[in-house]
Amino acid sequence: MDNARYQAELGVLRRKLPNSWYCFEGIGTSTPTLKMAARTNSGNLYTLHFDLSQFPMSIPKVFVTRMLKTKSGLEMRGCSASMHTLDSEHGWTRICHYGYSSWTPNVSLYKVFIKCRLWLEMYEAHLRTGKEIQYYLNHQA
Amino acid sequence: MNENQLNNLAENIREEGYNPATSGTDLVYDPASGEFRTVPRGYSPSNGETVTKFTEGGFASESGHVMVYLREDELKSAEEALGSAEEVPAYVEEIDSDEVFHIHFQPEIKKLPGELRLPGFCTRDRNAINGLSHSSLRFCVLLTEDGPEVWYRLRPLKSRQWAQAEAFIVPSEENLFSRSKGILEVDILRDKRVLVIGLGSFGSQISIELAKAGVGHFALMDFDRVELHNLSRHTATIHDLGRLKTNVIEEAILGKNPYAKVEKFPVNINEDLPLLYEEVEKADLVICATDNNTSRFNISGALVEKGKVGIFGRAITRAEGGDVFRYRPGGPCYCCVVGAGNLQEEEISDVASARRDGRIAAYVSAEDAEAMVQVGLSSDIEPICNLMVKLALVELSRGKESGISSLEEELTYDCYLWANRRDRHYANWKPFPAAGQLPSILRWYGVKVNKDEHCPICSGNIVLDDGEEEINAMASNIDLNQ
Repeated sequence: MDNARYQAELGVLRRKLPNSWYCFEGIGTSTPTLKMAARTNSGNLYTLHFDLSQFPMSIPKVFVTRMLKTKSGLEMRGCSASMHTLDSEHGWTRICHYGYSSWTPNVSLYKVFIKCRLWLEMYEAHLRTGKEIQYYLNHQA
Repeated sequence: MNENQLNNLAENIREEGYNPATSGTDLVYDPASGEFRTVPRGYSPSNGETVTKFTEGGFASESGHVMVYLREDELKSAEEALGSAEEVPAYVEEIDSDEVFHIHFQPEIKKLPGELRLPGFCTRDRNAINGLSHSSLRFCVLLTEDGPEVWYRLRPLKSRQWAQAEAFIVPSEENLFSRSKGILEVDILRDKRVLVIGLGSFGSQISIELAKAGVGHFALMDFDRVELHNLSRHTATIHDLGRLKTNVIEEAILGKNPYAKVEKFPVNINEDLPLLYEEVEKADLVICATDNNTSRFNISGALVEKGKVGIFGRAITRAEGGDVFRYRPGGPCYCCVVGAGNLQEEEISDVASARRDGRIAAYVSAEDAEAMVQVGLSSDIEPICNLMVKLALVELSRGKESGISSLEEELTYDCYLWANRRDRHYANWKPFPAAGQLPSILRWYGVKVNKDEHCPICSGNIVLDDGEEEINAMASNIDLNQ
């Protein structure tokens, strides 16, 4: 991510979120990252970790910085089409937020953040109802 | 008379001074006497009939018609080397058994699969082929005032007799593409450098076509190796399985234009952006023939920053169609085109590659992933490659008077669409004969693309899509309490 893009992303985040909700690290290096706080409607707080090494030309990897579990207690470690997760790394659950064909470099990190925030809401709904995330996306959206 | 007896008869005739270069002999069988006899080739026997002409050169000929190819530039080097030496070594490659040979004077010339290398020498001394020396050597290039003569003996003979082969000279670089003169500015193309990124079914064909047109410098980028599933659409052959595509295509380019300069980079450009930018800067034109958008966006970024022309091409599912995009500095970039929604979903030709860049989601099973691989025919992607080559030649020759100059006025669009069949995306198109002015298959359609004023790659005025409206609408449709 070059400096112009970084400034543009920063501009969007500043407009949309309090400063304390996000933190870029390693900008200008080969391993830039972004950490963001996400509070769900139920008040739970999650930290999202964005791997920006190939952003914006490629979809950024986004992780919840802990290993989430399903309602049945299984770790959300692997790829799951029904729960919209990808292979975990660092012991963190990885969210599948964008498909290859819908990705363009125009997509902002804020937009990715909002989709992940929505994923977290659906995850919590899953914990309450047992319904998989796919149910909410396929049946309602 | 059995085969051995016939061979002995042939050998005896050669021992008597038979010269296969100047005469031929046929074998005649006389049923009245029950004897075989030899007659001059072409002679109609009054009794008996010609029963065999053992070889193309006639009965008792050591071999058939031998053709030898020499390169003009190498001959000049050999001539210079003979200024200070009586002989220089020659390296002879047998192309077709006993019939065609290529002679080089540089040992580093690569052998092709199946070639046999034989020893030879080059001299100005005609006595060299009459004396007893060089008993193990089979080819002699004799430099005379009238030009080179090539003498050979395919097997060491008791008589040590040499025969003259027919020599053909491969012209030097400036004359190699003389047939294209008038159509192409071959002198200009010789100095041009083309960077080809992705050497799959597109990049391999395009590289070779550009070499055939006389482009003189190539940089080839691809980290992949030739696999079995490549063969149906790639220029590589079964002998190339497992080889780096950069090596295979280098060989193919040099096979068309031995004077081309080729640099190879077997790297993943998405993981080595500094190299990508460096090579884009050096190139006069970039061919983007990769199979994923990440690399296309990266290449697009490099083209914009370095102000270079790039040609992008791809096929959509099962190669039912495809598209070509040309980036010219100041115009819309690849990201502008994708953002404008002009392009259809592309084909998946290789599971491993599609998994790597996410075109096949990681949670798709191996079985389902295999089912997603839907490649088209080589003949379906060739029209797309062909337009990419034409655009490349127009760009490389732009502003110079040549036979293709008029194409500058034709090929003015940024993006071109092509359909091979009336499938899926093109199912409602009219059949070709009845289409009239309506869209039909097997025709190119130009698309004018507007530059995105807020494009994150080429505008310099980035306005990001925060997507709030879209996502809020999506969220409002989801009831998480159900």
